[in-house]
Amino acid sequence: MEANPVVVDCADVTKVYRQGTQEVQALRGLSLQVTGAEFTAICGPSGSGKTTLLNLIGALDRPTSGTIHLEGHDLGAMGQRERSHLRRDRIGFVFQAYNLMPVLTAYENAEMVLALQGAPLEERRERVERLLKEVGLDGLEHRRPDELSGGQQQRVAIARAIASNPAVVLADEPTANLDSENATLLLDIMERQNRERRVTFLFSTHDPRVMERARRIIRVVDGRVETDEHRT
Amino acid sequence: MGFALWMMILYTGLMNWYLHDMEATILDLEVGDVQVHAADYRDDPSLHARIDDAESLLTELRGAGYRASSRLLAYGMAAAGETSAGVAFFGVDVARDAEVSLVHEHLLDGSWLDPSDAHGVVLGRRLARMLAAEIGAEIVVISQGSDGAMAADLYRVRGVLESIGAAVDRGGVFMTAEAFRELFVVPVGVHQIVVRRPEGSELDVAAEAVRAAAAGLDVRTWRDLMPTLASLLDSARGALVMMIVIVYVAIAVLILNAMLMSVFERIRELGVLKALGVGPGGILGLMFAEALIVTTIAIAVGVALGAPTLYYMATEGIELTSLTGMSIMGVAMSTVWHADMRASTFAVPIAVLVGIVGLAVIYPALKAAMIDPVRAIHHQ
Repeated sequence: MEANPVVVDCADVTKVYRQGTQEVQALRGLSLQVTGAEFTAICGPSGSGKTTLLNLIGALDRPTSGTIHLEGHDLGAMGQRERSHLRRDRIGFVFQAYNLMPVLTAYENAEMVLALQGAPLEERRERVERLLKEVGLDGLEHRRPDELSGGQQQRVAIARAIASNPAVVLADEPTANLDSENATLLLDIMERQNRERRVTFLFSTHDPRVMERARRIIRVVDGRVETDEHRT
Repeated sequence: MGFALWMMILYTGLMNWYLHDMEATILDLEVGDVQVHAADYRDDPSLHARIDDAESLLTELRGAGYRASSRLLAYGMAAAGETSAGVAFFGVDVARDAEVSLVHEHLLDGSWLDPSDAHGVVLGRRLARMLAAEIGAEIVVISQGSDGAMAADLYRVRGVLESIGAAVDRGGVFMTAEAFRELFVVPVGVHQIVVRRPEGSELDVAAEAVRAAAAGLDVRTWRDLMPTLASLLDSARGALVMMIVIVYVAIAVLILNAMLMSVFERIRELGVLKALGVGPGGILGLMFAEALIVTTIAIAVGVALGAPTLYYMATEGIELTSLTGMSIMGVAMSTVWHADMRASTFAVPIAVLVGIVGLAVIYPALKAAMIDPVRAIHHQ
């Protein structure tokens, strides 16, 4: 069986923030690799650098030193426009607070990235309808975010994140605002997408429910990888 | 924004009409575009300071496309009953004067001069009131003829003018040129030639053409003849522009504030858009597109409100009968204030609004485009 390709490669990454006159070292020489179709959770205490790491991998921020490659592209060497295109085409985002566009319907939110890519209307329609059905939102396509529950909104966010077949979906505390039932439902959906469509998921999480499901758990403490546990 | 545009369209229409009306009053009722006098007449307005060969000059000017008519001018007294007043006599060529002046259309009562009625005169409004001279009343006029003898005769009032200017109101006595010549013993020559330029031609160009035809005579434009009024009109136009600028600056501040608020209220959404791959150019385009949509709606609202209001003002106007007889710098104010309704009344405020919105949206749009998605996504 052919080995999965490396999707994310972080090498000796540091990130220093300035807060007023103080410098905060969020990451201190962190290295890790994520291969395709992984279902990986990054855990660690608050302030350990989990979200910073996801922001760097998501090309939302730049490392102070070290390199991050996504599918072989050196994110540090890319210009703003290229990074925007990379985020649009190869990265899916799921945020803790859902972050759907309040004026758009569930369908339009899920369709947004495909629309930004300029995908043909028919292809968009077919893919979005299928995805909304897969995440259990069949019949709720025309509702706006304020007409959906938190769990439903997060499922729309997942549909939006995976609609464009990204190389990796970065999910920052995706279950933090959800009750047990919705968190379980959400994890089921993500796990199924990972298993059936081989979507690579990389979570930052505190949630033991997520960690139970993850097949790899990377524990980050003080900006470094403390443990990296692969499960079968 | 739509309301502001409405106000601006209305304001522009009213002010343009007001300025145009004031100028039209000067040109149509008072002095015309250009006046020609004998070289020494303006310094010493004597009966003897005449343009002798007026007919050939009038013929030349008409041949060049100008409307022109001559007038005879003198001063004296008019009396009715026991009341008398100092007056200015205007001897007009009834047929040709109608081509250069609209005085004959501004009768409050009675009728305009008739060449067949040699002893019929038309008086200014206040003069008629002062002399208590109604239509049909007899007045005695007294002056000195060009032969040095007393010029006096009895005339009948056949018309009273509306308020058209302070000088005419207080002492204007219009009579036919023939009656004037007989009264003042002026067999030849005229004192004044009033010239009107063709529609759309420049005043200075017209003045130069008249000067070329009237060698040795004193040729002046209405701006030379009424410099204070000309400068008042220029100032009023400047004030109109200033008002428009002030209102639009206020609108620009309003738009800037609204757009900034819309950026601050949507920082998270803008951050998410950037995270999902919309570049700074895309955000910039989005902000401008929003401004364009808002402006288009504002224009639609402004025009929808402005057009009927302006139409009403253009056709009905505001009654200012309480101001009857009032004049500004000697020029009578109209008793109904209308609005000017033409394409530019709408186009100028709309063009300025679009320009200002374009400028006002730059800063908020740049701010939105430069948003840091990491901070924006976590913005509360």
